[in-house]
Amino acid sequence: MNSSVTSVLTRAISKLLLLPTLVAAAAILVKGYSQPGDGFSAGVVAGLGVLLQYLAFGREEAEKLPVVRSAGVLAFVGLLLALLVAVVPLFLGDPLLTHYPPPEGEVLIFGTLEILTAVLFDVGVFLLVFGFSVVTTSILARTIADEEEYALEEPVGEGEEA
Amino acid sequence: MVEARRERWPSLTSLAVLLPLVLALVSAPAAALAGALRPRLAAVAGTAFAALSALAVAWGWSMGGGTVDVPWAPSYDLRFTVTLDGLAVLYALLATGIGFAVLVYSSRYLPLHLEHQGRPESDGGSFYFFILLFMGSMVGLAMAQDLILLFVFWDLTAIASYYLIGFDRHEEDSRASALMALLVTGVTAVLLLIGALMFYAAHGTFSIPELVRLTEPGPLLTVAGGLIAVAGLAKSAQVPLHFWLPRAMAAPTPVSAYLHSAAMVAAGVFLIGRVYPLLQKSDFLLDALLVVGLASMAVGGVLALTRDVLKQLLAYSTISQYGYVVFMYGLGGKYGATGAAFYVLAHALSKSALFLTAGAVTEATGETRLSRIGGLRKPLPLLAAASGLAAAGLAALPLTIGFFKDELFFGAALERGAPFAVFAVLGAALTFAYVWRFWSGIFLGPTRDGARGVPAALVWPVVVLGALVLIGGVLTEPFAELAIAAGTVSLDAPATVEPAYHLDARPENLMALATFAIGTLLILSRPVWSGSARAASRFGESFGPEKAYDLTIRELNRLSDFVHRAEVRDLRSRVAAILLPAGILVGAGLLATPTTDVYRVGEVQLRDVPLLLALVSVAVASLTTTFTKRHVTLALVLSSVGFVLAVVYAFFGAPDVALVAVLVEVILTMVFIATLKLVPRKVLHRQANLPTERPWRKVFFATVAGAFAFAVVWGTLSQPAAEQSVADEHLRLTPEAHAKDSVTAILADFRGLDTLGEITVVALVVLAIATLLNRGRLR
Repeated sequence: MNSSVTSVLTRAISKLLLLPTLVAAAAILVKGYSQPGDGFSAGVVAGLGVLLQYLAFGREEAEKLPVVRSAGVLAFVGLLLALLVAVVPLFLGDPLLTHYPPPEGEVLIFGTLEILTAVLFDVGVFLLVFGFSVVTTSILARTIADEEEYALEEPVGEGEEA
Repeated sequence: MVEARRERWPSLTSLAVLLPLVLALVSAPAAALAGALRPRLAAVAGTAFAALSALAVAWGWSMGGGTVDVPWAPSYDLRFTVTLDGLAVLYALLATGIGFAVLVYSSRYLPLHLEHQGRPESDGGSFYFFILLFMGSMVGLAMAQDLILLFVFWDLTAIASYYLIGFDRHEEDSRASALMALLVTGVTAVLLLIGALMFYAAHGTFSIPELVRLTEPGPLLTVAGGLIAVAGLAKSAQVPLHFWLPRAMAAPTPVSAYLHSAAMVAAGVFLIGRVYPLLQKSDFLLDALLVVGLASMAVGGVLALTRDVLKQLLAYSTISQYGYVVFMYGLGGKYGATGAAFYVLAHALSKSALFLTAGAVTEATGETRLSRIGGLRKPLPLLAAASGLAAAGLAALPLTIGFFKDELFFGAALERGAPFAVFAVLGAALTFAYVWRFWSGIFLGPTRDGARGVPAALVWPVVVLGALVLIGGVLTEPFAELAIAAGTVSLDAPATVEPAYHLDARPENLMALATFAIGTLLILSRPVWSGSARAASRFGESFGPEKAYDLTIRELNRLSDFVHRAEVRDLRSRVAAILLPAGILVGAGLLATPTTDVYRVGEVQLRDVPLLLALVSVAVASLTTTFTKRHVTLALVLSSVGFVLAVVYAFFGAPDVALVAVLVEVILTMVFIATLKLVPRKVLHRQANLPTERPWRKVFFATVAGAFAFAVVWGTLSQPAAEQSVADEHLRLTPEAHAKDSVTAILADFRGLDTLGEITVVALVVLAIATLLNRGRLR
């Protein structure tokens, strides 16, 4: 990795940006019910935050982040969470994907955060989308690294198909 | 809704019902957990749990059984109804009891099996997990009273059998056999589900006792009951869906023993026994069972006489033996269902012992073929005696439990009429002949050298099962009681049978004597008929249903390859194949619609100028893409189209959409460029400088699709919607969903199911990307 002024700047800024990105994602997620944004957007924003780390520090550094290592698990935990929110009402005698509290019910509110199962569903979507983008990023990064290694080992990169 | 039988629970009754089920169901995870601690513990834990489950079933039965009925998905009328009745006890005892014997056997057999194949001992963990899952789902299946619950357990047994048959997963034959078993029993399981849904549509319940009360003979009963019966027959390997069973012999021997006697194949006749109160209302279904049973008896019996591989012989014998059971169900009458239950019990004891014998013999000699084994009575006297008892039981000799299975079989056939009695005798004679061939081929004849001793754990289960066969022949009462209890459930009326020895010339005794005589004749005249039996076997191999299966699988593969190739080979043709028909269809629709005075150009005001500018730049960027040659530039130009469109959304007051558009565009651009990085630069450069192929064709496609799309969108936007759209409804409901942002409320609530489907696709895409880009590299 070259150490030009640009890359030094990039690294400094990306290091600074990771945490705010994740916080912004969390805000987009939990505020989704009152303001623009939802689990999908939050997941992509958080995923972009991780992508930035890949760009700035390279694959090996970025993969030391704990979120990156557990991204695949996070994705399926998200799917499971969404499925649970959908299926649990069946056991309570309600139609699939009934949200609680019901329309006439009272909602617990902490500040501007509302507690209802629809938000939980959105958290599932968030985890899945976040996991998806991080897994895709890391697999692509690894494939690119492998290809470069391959190209270094065998300088004659063409004529593969023959 | 029918008011459920409400019980105060937890009561002793519910404990008697739930304890066996829970013990059987937790045994698989318990064994897996124990195996994770130390591989050897898996066998110990599994065996202990099988024994406990068997004891719990017996205890539950001594407490009088009972029913537990809880709603689990009331919105769909699904109930968790389990009953410990006679039929359930019979099959649950078989599953747990024979399961116990098989597990004891496996604790010694499996390490040897893994050692022969050079696999680590830890591979055994999945064996115990799946064989216990098999046991647990069999117990659940035996007790389920709700057709959907029954279907769930039914499919669980299919899944467990898939992993067990394919346990030697490095062998292609093993994998193909496992897939065949899964497909044949899994596809027919769908018929069971369809049958269940048909009954539900007509009567509004999935409960079997309710359905028995509600259904009348008629086309619905015949069709739905027939579908369920087909599922049962396929699982019991009845002609013409029998071919998967001999192939399933690729499984390790304990699995075969279990599969044939107490699980999987037994599950098929169990299902018939469970829905028998429905089936017996239709004469057509009973006759169909008769025909299928007879065909299976004949095909299985004749082919068993031609097979040289020990386990193959036993596999065909199983087909014919369950043919008898199905035949008896088809006969009906007072002996039919009860006799069938007794037959299953007697057969399970004998057949599991014979399979375990085959495994022990192969372990001792390293041979799997009858023609290469012989004279083993000298080195393995105990095994010879024990499996002799089991063989005698299968051949229905007096003093074994098997004698009574044939007595009931003959009784049922006689009740129906003389021709059926003749069929019964012929079938039983075939059994006599192939059982003799199996046992005498292994243990009699000239002694061969090279037989090692076998571990005691491979012999003792056979001894215990053989002893049970003998005990059943002397003290028949408890076995008969179990069969009567099971028969009572199947008949939905009190059943009686009194198996006993009578030293007189009653027809059953004469038929037994005739069986032994014809059987001996068959054995002695082997040179006369063996040629034609082999010819029949070869005919079956060339034209039998297995060929049809192979053909179907091959053609499906070919179709899939064809679709795949048509889709991915040429990207441009694929895009054209979507754009052109879409354009033409839309255009035809447009031409058929009156369009006079429809098109309006709205007024342009000063505040619309930024919007117009944005739209102009979208158009410019789009045009630019058609002239761009370099790939990276193309990716950037394309993404600029997306970004400007996001700006347009923002102008239209759709911040949610704009946000998503920006984010998606960023990710897409990144992926685009990352993918380009994977292609060698030289290749990209060469590709970029190639002349455009057939440019006019592309211009034509793009113009047709674009022009019509534009015309239609313009026309639509020119007119305000005549009726209230669904959007207004969503806006109205948003506060009720406690939301202020209707887009999120739509995604998570109103159209939540769509979202659920979409995120499932996303999860699958993750797996697909990982598989494609990892290219078989394992971490």
